[in-house]
Parts: sequence; C-alpha cells; structure tokens
Amino acid sequence: MCLFALDKLLASCLLEIERCDNLKKLDVLKSTLFGKNGKVTEIMKELRNLDDSQKHKVGAEVNGLKNCIMEKLNAKFRELEVKELDKRLSSEFVDVSMPSRPEYSGKLHPLTKVEEEVSDILSSYGFVFAEGPDIESEYLNFTALNIPDHHPARTMHDTFYVHKLADEKGRRLLRTHTSPVQIRAMLENGAPCRFFSVGHVYRSDYDATHTPMFTQIEGLMVDQTVGFSHLKWIVSDFLKKFFVVKRMRVRFRPSFFPFTEPSAEVDISYDMRDGKMFFGAGEKWLEVCGCGEVHPNVLKYGNVDPEKYQGIAFGFGLERLASLKYGIPDLRGYFESDESWMSAFGFSHFAR
Amino acid sequence: MRFSFNWLKNHLVTKLTLQEVADKLTSIGLEVEEVIDPSLTFKNFSLAQIKDVRKHPGADYLKVCTVTDTCGEEYNIVCGAANVRAGLKTILARPGAVIPISGATLRKSKIRGMVSDGMMCSSEELLLSSKHNGIIELNPDTDLTVSVADALGYDGGILDVSVTPNRGDCFSIRGIARDLAAAEAGEFLDIKIKDCLAAFPFPINVTYENSESYSHYVPMIAFRVIRGVRNGESPRWLVSKLKSAGMNSISAVVDLSNFWMMDQGRPTHIYDLGKINGDVQIRFAGIRETFIDIKGNEHKLLPDMMVAADDESPLCLLGIMGGKKTACTENTVDILIESALFDQIFVSKAGTLLNLTSDSRARFERGIDRDSCVSGLEGLTKLILENCGGAASEVCVVGENQIRDIKICLHRSKLEKVSGGSGDWNTDCQMLKKLGLKEVESGRDASTFSVPSWRSDLEIEEDLIEEVLRLRGYDSIQPECIDIMATGRDRILQKKMKIIEIKRLLISRGLSEVITYSFTKKELAEALGDGKKLIHLINPISVDLNVMRSSLLPNLLASASISQNYGRTNFGIFECGSVFHDDCEQQLRIAGIRLGNSDERNWLSKTRSVDVFDAKGDLFAVLQHCGAEEKVLSTEVPAPFYYHPSRSGTLLYKGKNIGFFGELHPKIGKLFNISGKIICFEILAEQALLLKPEVLLYRGKVFPKINRDFAFVLASKASVGNIVNEIYKLSPLIKKAVVFDCFDLNIRQKSIGITVTLVAEDRTLTEGDAQGISGKIIRYVESVGGELRRNEPDS
Repeated sequence: MCLFALDKLLASCLLEIERCDNLKKLDVLKSTLFGKNGKVTEIMKELRNLDDSQKHKVGAEVNGLKNCIMEKLNAKFRELEVKELDKRLSSEFVDVSMPSRPEYSGKLHPLTKVEEEVSDILSSYGFVFAEGPDIESEYLNFTALNIPDHHPARTMHDTFYVHKLADEKGRRLLRTHTSPVQIRAMLENGAPCRFFSVGHVYRSDYDATHTPMFTQIEGLMVDQTVGFSHLKWIVSDFLKKFFVVKRMRVRFRPSFFPFTEPSAEVDISYDMRDGKMFFGAGEKWLEVCGCGEVHPNVLKYGNVDPEKYQGIAFGFGLERLASLKYGIPDLRGYFESDESWMSAFGFSHFAR
Repeated sequence: MRFSFNWLKNHLVTKLTLQEVADKLTSIGLEVEEVIDPSLTFKNFSLAQIKDVRKHPGADYLKVCTVTDTCGEEYNIVCGAANVRAGLKTILARPGAVIPISGATLRKSKIRGMVSDGMMCSSEELLLSSKHNGIIELNPDTDLTVSVADALGYDGGILDVSVTPNRGDCFSIRGIARDLAAAEAGEFLDIKIKDCLAAFPFPINVTYENSESYSHYVPMIAFRVIRGVRNGESPRWLVSKLKSAGMNSISAVVDLSNFWMMDQGRPTHIYDLGKINGDVQIRFAGIRETFIDIKGNEHKLLPDMMVAADDESPLCLLGIMGGKKTACTENTVDILIESALFDQIFVSKAGTLLNLTSDSRARFERGIDRDSCVSGLEGLTKLILENCGGAASEVCVVGENQIRDIKICLHRSKLEKVSGGSGDWNTDCQMLKKLGLKEVESGRDASTFSVPSWRSDLEIEEDLIEEVLRLRGYDSIQPECIDIMATGRDRILQKKMKIIEIKRLLISRGLSEVITYSFTKKELAEALGDGKKLIHLINPISVDLNVMRSSLLPNLLASASISQNYGRTNFGIFECGSVFHDDCEQQLRIAGIRLGNSDERNWLSKTRSVDVFDAKGDLFAVLQHCGAEEKVLSTEVPAPFYYHPSRSGTLLYKGKNIGFFGELHPKIGKLFNISGKIICFEILAEQALLLKPEVLLYRGKVFPKINRDFAFVLASKASVGNIVNEIYKLSPLIKKAVVFDCFDLNIRQKSIGITVTLVAEDRTLTEGDAQGISGKIIRYVESVGGELRRNEPDS
C-alpha cells in the first residue's frame, strides 16, 4: 500500500464532497466511501494483510484519512441541511399583511358597568345589597315614605298604576323610586343596618331629559348615631371614588323631600375644557344626588324606633352618573339600543 | 320665582351684592336657577347725551357726534343712525364693551378716516328688542347718574329662585327677605300693614253654603268693595316690577293684585262689581255645572269644587282662577276684592282634576300665611286707593280661621346628634326667632318655640333642626367618617355578580347587551306570551307601551327590527331583565337573538347563516357557567308556539324546563318586520341562578385515557342528544361522549359518529374494560333501534 496513493485518494474524496450540492448526492457519496464495498472500507480491509510493523504506521495514516473525510462529510451534511431548510422555508411564504380571522365581541351596556362600579364602592362601606319588586303597593311607595295622600306625585299624571285590585296596602303601581326597598329592608332586618339597592323606577314622563323608565341607586344607613356629618362623608367619598379624582368639590344645598328631614341636594363642581367635563375643580355646579336624615315617620313605618335610632339615606340617578362619567349625551339612548350608540358608549367584556 | 334685586331691597337692607345674595339663597335652600347681573352685561356702557352732530366729511350717510357720558367726559362718535340728533339721551358703548348681540368686543376704530371713540347702541344690539329702530332714545328726563341697567329697567338685576314645595312662605319676596335676614344676609324690614278707613258699609249680600258632607272644609273669605277706581294703565314703577317678575301689565287694579301676591305671597281675586248679578254665593259646584275661566276656556266642574257665583253662573273657581264674566277692564269702576284662606289639599285636588295651574293655586297648595286673610286685604286696598283712587267699604268676613297653635321643643342634644358637632346654641335660637318663631320657653339644653302663621311646614323637632342647619349653612358641618364594617358578598349580591358574569360571557360570544323598557304593546306581548295573564297599565304613556312585558322578546325584536332598518345585517343582542305575570309577579329572564350570518365575509373562511346551534351554544354556555353539567341537560321538542315547530327545543335540567332555543316562527319575523331567520334563546334565569357548580376534586395523578369511536345507523328522526345522555349513564368510566359526525344515509336513516373517552380515577384501564363498555354502548344503541355500522365510513 502506497502512502502516496492515500494522499491522492484523500484529495479526490475531499473534492467530490465539496462538489456535492444536495443531501441525496452526499448520501450516495457517503456509501461509495464507507459502504460495504466503499473505497475507504476497502483500504481498511487491506490493512489486515499488512505485517505488524507496517500495520502500525500505515494504520495511523489510514485512520487519519478516514477521520479527515468523515469530518468533511459531516460538515458538508450540516451545510446542505441549513441550505435546504432555508430553501423550503422561503417557499412557504405567506403575505402576513393579510387580515387575521374576524373576532366577534359584543358590548356591555354602560348602565351595567356603572352599576358594578357603584356596587363595589357601596359594598366597601359595608352596605349590603337589597332588592324589591318593580310593581309595588301604594303603601310602600308613598304612605310609608311619608308622602301624603294628596301629594301630586300620587296622581295618575306622574305615576303608572296597574290593573289590580286595591287591598289594605292600596293600589298597585310601578314604583316611582327605589325607596320602598328601604322600608322592606328595615322591616326585614331591623336596626342597625346598611343597605343599598339598584333598580328600575318609573314615572310618566318622556322628553330629552326624561324617560318613562330609569334607574336609581339608593343607600340607607340606620344606627344609633348617624348624623348629617356622616352623610356628608359618605356622599363625598362615594363621588370622589366614582369619578376617580383625588379631590372632589361637593356642595350640599338644603332641599326638600317628604322622606328626609333635613334634606339636601348635592352638587359637584366641574370645569369645561375643549367641550369635555372635568370634575373636582371649576366653578360650575351640577346636581347629582338627593339625600338627608331619614324622617322619623319613615323609620316608624320601617318598625325602627326614631327615639333610639337615626338614619341617613341618599339616592342617585344611574343614567346621570353614567352620562357624566362617560360623556353620554341623550338620556333616551340608554333604552334605544342603537348600534352606533352602543359602539360609542358600550364596554368590552373585560372592561373593569 | 322671578323678581328683581331692587324689589327684594324693599324688604331687606343688605350690603351684599347681587351674586352674594344669590349664593346665600342657594346655601339656605332657596336654589337660584338664574342670576342676571346687568353690571356685568353693561360693563363699559354708560348713559350719554349727544351734544353736537356734524356731517362726516367722507360719507353722506354718516355723522360725527360729540357725546358726553355720565362723568361729563367727551367722546367723538361716528354714527349712521337716522334718529341721531343733538340733545338726545342714549346709551354709549365704550372700547372694551362686549356688544350683546354679536359677543364682539368693541375697539376704538377709524370709520372712513374719522376716529370713533365708541358706539351708540340700538335696542336690537343690546338684545332688548328684535326691531332695528335706530339708536336707543331714553326719556328726556332720564337722570344720567343712574346706571345703564336701571335706566333700562333691570331694577338692580334679576334673581330666579326655585322654591321647594314645602316653602309656601317663600313664594313671596317678603318671605325670601325674612329667610335671608335670618341667615344674616341683611336686616328684614317688617312693614306693618295698617287698616284702611271704611267709607261705607259692605254693600252686597254674601251667602255661604254650609254643607254637612264637607264640614271638614271651611274656608275663610274676606271681601271688600271699592267704588270709583280709575283702572287705567299702571304706573311705571309697577310695570317695571312686574316685568322683572316676568309678568305682563294688564290694568292697574289687576297689576296691583299681582304685585301684592308676589310681594306678600297673598293671592287675591278682584271682580268687576258691575258685572255681578245679585248676591255672591260661596258654594260647591252643581252637577254638570260649567265655568269659563279668565282666558275663555270652559271647564266641567265636579261637585267637590268650590266656586263663588252670582245668581246666574260661577264667577270664580276659588283659589285657582277667576272667570271671564267678571274680569276687570279699563271701564271697570267698582270692584269686589276677595282674600281667602283655602285648604291646601282642596285646591290641589281641584287644580289637578281640571289640569289648571295658576300663581294662586301654586301658593294655596304650598300653604299661605294663615293670618293674612284680612291684613292682606287691607294692604291691597291701600295700594289701590293710592294708585287708582276710589273709596273702600267695610270688610265682610265669612267662614273662620281655625287657630293652629303649634309648639315644638328643640333639644340641644338632638341638634348636635344630627349636626355632628356643637354650634352656638344662643345663635341657633336667635336665628329661629328671626324666622318669626317665638321662644315660649327658653333653656340651655332645650327651648320651646311656637310656629308663626306662615310656617305650616314646621311640625316636628326635625323640622327645626333643618331650619338651624340650613341657616348655618350645610358647609359648616364637617364630614365625619363612618366606621367601615367589612361585609362579604351576601347572597343577593352574589346573585347580582353572577348575572354580570353571564352578561360578560354573552358579550364575549359576540352578543351586545341592551336594556329595554319593562312595558310593551299588548298585541306583541300576546304574540310571544306563554298564555298567562298580562298585567295592564291603567294609564300607559302610549298605546305601544300598555302592558308589563311577560317576555323579553317583544322589545328585543322591536329593537332588532330598527337596527335592521338602519342597515345592520349580521348581529346579536341580548337582555337580562325582569318579566311580569299576573300570578307570579316578577321573574328574571335572559334572552338573546341573532340575525344574518355568523361571520362577516372574510378570506379565511366561508360565511354561513346563524342557526339553531348558535342559540343552543349560547344557552349551554350560560347554563354551564351557572354550573349545569352537560350530561344532566336534555333537549326536548317542542318549544313554545312562537318557535319554528321543527327547528326548536326546550332545554331541561334534571327534568325541569330551564330554557328554550331555536329559530323563531316565520310569522314572528313578519310581525316585527324582520327579514331572514331569527335565532333565539331564552333562559329562565331564576332557576338557572339556583344551580351550583359541581366542585371537582383533584385526585392527583391522572391515569391514561382510552378513546373509542363508534359509527351508528339510526332512524332520521331519532334524538341523538338523548342517546348520548343515556350513554353517559352506562358507566361511570365514560367521561366524555362527543358526536363528531352526522349525515343522512337515505331518506329514512342517518349515520352518526360518536367518540367516547374512558378514564378510571384509580387505575390504568385495560383493553378488557374498554371492550366491556363498548359492548354495553352497542347493545344500548341497538336496543333503541340503531345498529353499529360494520364498514367504517372513511375506510
């Protein structure tokens, strides 16, 4: 065996490897070199015929040749693999500027969103949610709330009555406020207590600022000492939290409601900038709430002793709160479910 | 109530400005709705007189005037008005003035080469009239030292106060002044009214019907006759005062009566005595009696309304409105004045029944000063005699004033309990006294007050507390934090939160939430009702909203119909709200509808129209969220009659109805004018919200599962859903049975593919287990008429 021949073989093998331009050819070449009758295999076989002294020397040479070819072969394999993968991937082109699959998500009604916000704040004061029916008795809607028989609110002009026989609790009507829930809650739970309720109320009125149905939220707290100072704190703190402002300028104005004494209406201050309202600052005032110390007669109707307990109550119009916070203009939009209105003022399902 | 600042000053000496008074009024509960402050409007305006008028050298129609203002300063003004002339007194706008009609700020300017130092104004430019009549011509005897606003009759500015229904006494300028004085805004001028000298006896006969059935209602009425009045035009002061109150001048006598009502809160009525035939009768209206009011409108009276009548007809609906017949005119010479005390409720009822509003009714309804019947009459008499002349008769009084002497004890401790802090007890009592309350018993811890005749709203201690607090100003009360009690989500709140979760779930499925009215139209409610009795409104706001809804669908469909008319094609909406039935009053429902295609056109998938299974998907999603396991829900036909009879179903949970779904009957689409299929679901939410999600226990390591596919041949109308439900019952190892394929083999038969997943919680299942269960499944399907397909469909 000639060492020179080995060198020649090495050179030609390396050249052949270099010339391979795809994996298939390289596979074939590999088997012509290392296969059963491959060139390198043949040389290895010849080594067996050599004597021991040559075996040692030539063996080392042959091994070197074999390793060198193997190394080159593997490098080529890796090179061609990368090349072929690149080629395949580039053939898998898609135009990523095309639109994705359409997604469909509806909108949450702003009143639901605001109801959730308001419930969270009131719950944080320890107020518990209470419910009452939309169809109420004249007794719970008016009498028990110290609204006398001749009060104009009781007329057919303002209140919806339903076709049902009157009983000892009077005619049946669509509640004109959520306040009957106060009486129900007091009768059921006694004093002390803290309640709030949210619900539809009905008044026979329809124009740009009135709809025959709207939503009220109302809070009641009865305790041994709960005065006007507490009322001021709760209402102010509630408004601050609801409108998410650090400071809220709140004005309490004396007013009149049959079921509270003293009574107040609450204004918040705002400022107009670029047609948008900003709350908490400014010199303009906007009414948002009616409230007061619960009238002793109302406590009595709720079976609470006015000599022992005091109560405070406050109420907001949910639509008004929503309109102010989210800039929703016309009250009627809330119940028309117009699509453009909903896409402007509705909330996505994960909005918190 | 609208009035001028100067009018208020007739009753109140105050150093406060108009705006300060307005703020004070609002802070004591007399909310000021509007303040017109002319000193702001007329800043940089002044009264002026034209001294000299010359021709403009550059323009024939322009003149150059020398004008002096209030301070005697001279101005050069270029003016084009036709009526400009020397000596004329008018209004000058100086540079810096904002011209009301345009909102523009006036600047010194050159007009055709001549400098003009300002502008003389027309009444149109000051928004005083809409006609352009040249520059304003003030009366030649106008005092140039008064303000522009006063010269124009603004009378110191205008206040518009909203009076709450309990404060009848503040339906007068005198009453408002008294309240302001009590709140330390000035000094109340308590003008005492003196009786007038009578020139002759009361000349007519007044009869008073004393009806037994109305014995609780006894009005007190004072009458007086004045003869020989001159009822011409009203003096200027009177016209200007009424104008500030937004009232038109009618004639001197009527104007004085209106003035007196505004000033004192004392309504009176004046009859033309010459037009009364015979005696004056105070009586209840007769059956079918009619009355023609001062505006000429005819009213049918009811027997519990009270009138003043002569021998022929009713002359006045007492407390509310006078009649046309005895209305005063410029020819009126002799008058009869009526000043009365009517019952609040009585006047309110009559006015409401006839739908008649008036300034008089507004005051009687809220309650007037109970002692003002005769004194009010005396005051008005004096005004009439002074301004219109004539001679007054003696006063005739019928009925009587029921004396009310109310005493209320105010306890210092109670006051402090409400106010949260201690005010100054003496100051507080002093304020109450300034309101006219008499301290009949005074003490350091409690004082007793008697309530004046004009404050019928004060009845209990809380009323006095309110008086003290509002006069102190609610601002003086310091907010005080309540102790926060932590409460968890209680049962009802939890239900509420669940509802919001359901709403958000449906929204994530592409449906939008709507809220519609709780009432609907009867015909629509019946078309979608369940046959139960509807609740009717006695006085609906319109015939389209005359019953309480017994289903959410009518209003949802109406809303969808409108959307479709506006060009929306593919959409879904839902509502969660109450429905009402005559027997079980109020129940919560959730309902949704889908219209058009499930997808908008897109390049990745084919669009398809929405179908029954979209609705079933919505329904299942909600019920599963509520905690219903799929395997205990079963589907049955039929659904209610308004659904498509063979494309709809009722969903049962443990055998009880919990919801409906499907395509609506085509006649419903027609009724609501909706085109295309309407897919719909309804959930009986009260039942759904009672479900409790099953708590799955974690059992550690999960053992491998085995899947087995089956293909069965079934009759076309066989209920696959029920078969799947039954398969679940065959072995607890069956965790899942899913229909993955379904197609018709022929007209009578269909093929379904079901894949069943088996898992044991305690061991690895063997092939033997799987074979045993497979056998059970096949035998069960065979028992209901199906058979296993031996040749697999896709082999």
